[in-house]
Amino acid sequence: MENKVRIARIQVNLTQQQLAEKIGVTRQTISLIEKGKYNPTLKLCLDICYTVNKRLDEIFWVEKERDEK
Amino acid sequence: MKKIRDERLILKNLQNTRIAYLIQTVGILGILGYDLVTKGLDGMRENPLWLAFMITTVISAYLSMSISADHENNKKSPKKSLSISLFVLVIISTIVGFFVTFTEGFTIIDGVIMGGILFICGLVPLIYIYYLRTKRQDENFVE
Repeated sequence: MENKVRIARIQVNLTQQQLAEKIGVTRQTISLIEKGKYNPTLKLCLDICYTVNKRLDEIFWVEKERDEK
Repeated sequence: MKKIRDERLILKNLQNTRIAYLIQTVGILGILGYDLVTKGLDGMRENPLWLAFMITTVISAYLSMSISADHENNKKSPKKSLSISLFVLVIISTIVGFFVTFTEGFTIIDGVIMGGILFICGLVPLIYIYYLRTKRQDENFVE
């Protein structure tokens, strides 16, 4: 899943390691979320949003693909 | 050692456990299969691994019941399903009890005991699935 975690994280001047420590996960998890290779649970999404001071839709919202059936 | 709080790692851990469980089951089946070939059915059942295997199978069957209760469509009411299953169970236990009674070397008491055991063994999962279905219905109504 595509998301804007990387942009939001850089905006608040946090490294992956710092963000991970604030939330209580490993740096690898943050890295995988940013790459879109891991789907975080809603709880983790919210934790990320609280930490970078953004709303859920600002970071995780993706438009529905038009060519989908 | 620190407790793992990362949800991704917890999930990964569970997946690893599943792989280990699969390999373990294959190993147990291999050993039991070897016993079956070399020592016969009774020899296989003397192996304590047989008990471990049966307990795990029963537990996994009960656990998967809660999944199938959620998976099935809930058009029929749980009470109706329970009464149908009870009816079938009573018929099966009666038939088995009946045949045991008329087998040579067995008395009518053996038949009753055999039918009773079969009935009780079948009743437990029926009640459990009834409980699961009614619980799920209650959850659906709270909306």
